[in-house]
This record gives sequence, C-alpha cells and structure tokens, in this order.
Amino acid sequence: MSVLPSSNPASPVPVAAALRSGGLWIDYGACVARVRTPIAALADQLGLLYHAYPLAQQRDFADYHVSVDYGRGLRRHLRPTCRFAIDGVEPFEPFPVDNALPMFEWGVNWCFAQRGNQFVLLHAGVLARAGRAVVMAATPGSGKSTLTAAMMARGFRLLSDEFGVLDPATGELRAMLKPVALKNRSIDVIREFSADAVIGPVFRGTRKGDVAHLAPDLASAATVTQNARPALVIFPRFIDGSGLELKPQPPEQAFSRLAFNSFNYALLGQVSFDAVADVAAGCPAYELRYGRLDEAIRCIADLLADAPGEPDVA
Amino acid sequence: MSPDLPGPAGRHLLPLLTDIGHLRQMTLADWDGTLRVARQARLLGVIAHRIDAEPALLAAVPGAVRGHLRSSINFAAHRRQMVDIELADLEAALPAGMTVVLLKGAAYIAQGLDFACGRMPNDVDLLVARRDLDAAERALAAAGWEADKTDAYEQRYYREWSHELPPMRVPGHALEVDLHHTIAPVTSRTRADDDLLEQGLQALAGSRFHVLAPADQVIHAVIHLFQDSEMSGRLRDLVDIDGLIRRHIHGEADWRALHERARRHRADGLLWFALHYCHRWLGTPLPDSGEHGRRPSPPARMLMDLLMRHACLPLVSDAGEAPIRRLARGVGQLRYHWLRMPPALLARHLCHKGLSRLLPRGE
Repeated sequence: MSVLPSSNPASPVPVAAALRSGGLWIDYGACVARVRTPIAALADQLGLLYHAYPLAQQRDFADYHVSVDYGRGLRRHLRPTCRFAIDGVEPFEPFPVDNALPMFEWGVNWCFAQRGNQFVLLHAGVLARAGRAVVMAATPGSGKSTLTAAMMARGFRLLSDEFGVLDPATGELRAMLKPVALKNRSIDVIREFSADAVIGPVFRGTRKGDVAHLAPDLASAATVTQNARPALVIFPRFIDGSGLELKPQPPEQAFSRLAFNSFNYALLGQVSFDAVADVAAGCPAYELRYGRLDEAIRCIADLLADAPGEPDVA
Repeated sequence: MSPDLPGPAGRHLLPLLTDIGHLRQMTLADWDGTLRVARQARLLGVIAHRIDAEPALLAAVPGAVRGHLRSSINFAAHRRQMVDIELADLEAALPAGMTVVLLKGAAYIAQGLDFACGRMPNDVDLLVARRDLDAAERALAAAGWEADKTDAYEQRYYREWSHELPPMRVPGHALEVDLHHTIAPVTSRTRADDDLLEQGLQALAGSRFHVLAPADQVIHAVIHLFQDSEMSGRLRDLVDIDGLIRRHIHGEADWRALHERARRHRADGLLWFALHYCHRWLGTPLPDSGEHGRRPSPPARMLMDLLMRHACLPLVSDAGEAPIRRLARGVGQLRYHWLRMPPALLARHLCHKGLSRLLPRGE
C-alpha cells in the first residue's frame, strides 16, 4: 500500500501535496472533480488507484469541487471521523476516518447522480473495443462489477462500472471512469484472474460488505475523454458452476430492463425514453448466464465483433 | 449596478441576471465559480433558460458549462411537471366553490410567467380565506395529505401565531403543500390587508385557482424576502421581485398604484429596500420620478446592507464561512424572529425551543 507507482507518464503530479493544498483535478471523462483532503492515508490510496489518470494540479474548470475533511469537535480525538462535502453540502453522515476512500468514491457517485442530468444515467458497466461499446446492465449482486473488471484485464477499454452515461444529444456513451468497487468474494476472484490487477486496501464491513477498489488501466485512462457508440447490450448473471447460456432479448425487453434500471429515467421523461429506445432498437441484446469468466468474455467479444456497426479505424 | 460586491456572485452572477449577454465576457475560469454560486442560490435553472432561449449566446458558452445548463433545464422541467401533477391533484381534492389562490412559484408557473422558467419550487403555496381554512384542511386530509410535523407545540405555533398550517404532503409525492390564510405571520410587525388582497384576486383562465393582483404579487414577494425570511441564500427571492416588476409594473400609474397598495399593506418601508436592491443589483427599471417609497432610517439601511451583501448574496468558499458572513447570518436570524413575534411571545418561543433542545426527544 505504501509504494506508489512513481513513474506515471500521464501525471507527474505530487498527488498528496496537491490534495493538501489547492486541490487535485481528476478527469473522469463525463466530469472533472477537484478534490482536496488533508488525510494522508486517503492521499496514498488515491495515488495508487488513480495512478493512470490524467491528473492536474490546476485547471480552469471543475464540474465538482469536493473535499474529504476530518470530522469536527472533540469526538475527533476519541474516534476520528471524516466527512465528504461538495460546495459546503455534506450529503452523508460522517464515516470512520479509516473508510475515507469508500466515502470519497460514493460521494463522487452521489454528485454525479444528483447533477449529471444532462445524461441518461443507466445503471450499467460499459466497455469498448475500437469505439464500439457493450452495455452491461444488471441488478446488484449479479456479478456485473466482477465481469467488468475481468474484461478490462483481458484488453477491453473500461468506460464505467457504475454509470452507463448515455448522451441523449449524440446517442454516444461517455466514460465515467472510476476505480471498480469489488465486493466480497470478487476481490479474490479478480486477484487470481489477473496478476496485473492493482487493487487498493480491503474495507471490511461497509454497508455493502467488504469492498476493495480496482485501479483502471492506462489504456482506459488515456482515452477517458473519447466517446463510444453503443453496439451490444448484455444482461449478465453469474451462477456458480453454470455453463454458458445465451438468451436473446427482444428490443422491448431490453428497453424496459435498461430504462427501469436507470438512476434518472423518470426525471428525464421524453429525453430518456427516446435515448434508451434508440439503444434498444439499434443494439442486439442478450441475457448471459455464466459460471466461468473467460468463457463469458470470449462470448461477449464474439457478439461484439458480430454486432452491426463499423469499428473505428485504429 | 454596484461593482464592489464580493466574489463570483458580484462579478458575474448579478451581471448575468441583469443582462444575460454578460456571458460573452466570461472565461471558463469565471464560469467555474459562477456555476457554484448560481447553484447554491438555486438560480442555475433560471440562468440556463435565459441562455437557452438565445442560440447565439448558448454557442458562446464553453462546452463543459453547457452540460450543467442542460442538466438544470432537465431538472427544472421535472420539477415543473411535479408542480403540474400536484396542482391537478389539489384541483380534484379542494371543495368546489372555495376560492383558492396560488402563491409564489406555483402562481408564476400557472400564469406562464417567463421569468420563472427554470425555477425549481420545493412546495406549492396555497392561500384561502381564514373562514375556509378548516374546510380546506379537512378536504386535503380526506384526500391523503398528511401534516409533516406532529409535535403539539409546532401544531399550536403554526395554528395560532403563523400565517400557514404545518406543511402537508401526500406520502410519495415530491412536493409539499403549504396552506396559508394570509401572506404574513399574524403576530408580525407588517400585516397585509386581507380585505384588499381578496378584492384584488384574479381568476386564472382554464383553472379553478386564483392569483393575487399583480401589485399584491410584488408586495407578497417583498414581504416574503424582507420580513419573512432570514435572508441567507435568498437571492432568488430578489430575482422573483425583479421579474414581477418587469412583467407587471409599467408607467407612472402602475408605480403609483404599487406604492399606494404597499402603504395600505403597511409594507412601504420593505418595498423601498426591495426597489433599492433590485435596481442596484439587477438593473430593475424604476420610475422616472425616482420615487422609491418610504426611505428607511440610516441604521436600518446599514443593517440591511450587511444582510444583503453577506447573507443574501451567495458565496462558496473553500475556507469555510468567514466571520462577517457568520455574523450576518446570525443577525438575519435574530431579525427574522424579532419581526415575526412580539417580545413576550418571542421570549416564550425561544424558551420552548431551548428547553426542547436540552430534553431528549419523545418527551
């Protein structure tokens, strides 16, 4: 945990010093956050998980100005806490200071879910090859994050794990590239699956169980501002010991599973109806049951290659 | 326009609200702070709508900023739909034949006033005559609205000393309903003339609701900001007053009528403040005669200047709240309570609040 990758070509930025003073600007693709924190352990963890990102010590603009500070008052010395704030608003109760990283990650998600209403925010992982994206939507507990992480390890570009960011103006997907929150068993699954996986410390007993964060790779981070076109929709479901099972989904089924699993579908009304309907009409959709990651990834790669639409010229 | 107001609110937000074309002079770095204060003051939707109405201006906005504008336009459209839904439900629930008046945001929306585009109401404010209050409350309760506050003191406070009932909401609905029987607390220094309000009511075409006479809408907005609020973060209310004046008050006759009405509602001193800050901060056109109404005393003007500059004007600071702003916020709270209640009632109210903070909940 203590050794940071120091030879990052993307960002020769003194992360901890920037976080302590004027702030660290992190480009997530769909938004830029300016982050400040005096908490040294959090700075170390951010340095590890965001090592591949385009980071900056100064930019003209940030979408969100956020901070993670120590809790207030006398209790701070008995049981240290931390609090997440955006422009003076603290959306959560304080966390124990040891859980500053999960709090920060949830905080950024909160900001984006509250304020990113120029986009349709699908609850979906998005990965791409040659500019063509597979949208993986699933309910919590279906193994979406594990499959997302494994696909990145096998060379897919990761755009997002939590938010499928659909731009209704263009029909394209924006990246919302964040460290992938691996939960419980999937932490060890990904450790075994990929020797190169950079994984942060394990936070035990959070409200989502044990959580550890997987750092996005350099290829995904370097292309964070590039959009991708939706080409394939997958509803994955991990079933222990199961073989591969592929069930085509008619467009109306894909539509409702995407729309009703979205953060702001109802809020956007007509805007999101049209945008999601375009995805459902234009992309083949499948429910994918799997028991082995490599088998599922090969299958998705083949489906993506066969899906309509031209790949970008590399 | 006073150029010496602090921060991005003074440098850009007020100029934008005065003339949206100001954005042509703004850099991306200017927008960074301006978006923060505009959002804090709940004015981003209003600004976004004004920009969106002029494609040439929208094209001059940096791409990163346009996303925020679009997001708040989408959010405001959703809020507006929630207001429409709530009004439709209220229309069905309230007794036919009872005169029900829409106030503030819901009234601006129902009248289709363009200055209110992008406004994001949190609640729907209704006004009924005091004699109709119980029947209106019973009708809403029968149709599923429930009071948020159940504490006996709160209930008594609202019913005896306030001008509205505790907020009500249908479980699951986005918006609260505030049922008023007059436009200022019954115990407060300024009491509007209820008969005059009632005589001026105007029926809304195609609706069962009424709205106040245009001059009374202005005066209500003035009382709401300058007497019935703690001032902190309430720039939006000044923008409402500006919009109502630009929309409704033209020519010397309108101005004379407004001042006369303000005198009869005993709000002429408050109106002076409103016109003063609307003109200086938002460029609101005032009558050629230059009459502002009854000029408050110099100490009162100094106090109001503190409140307006350091509490009403939004400021986002990474360093936390500055001492002058904390002072202004405290003064705003004191003033609010002082204007709202006579001294004996105020003492009693503060005692109750102080004690109930010391005692555990559920007493």
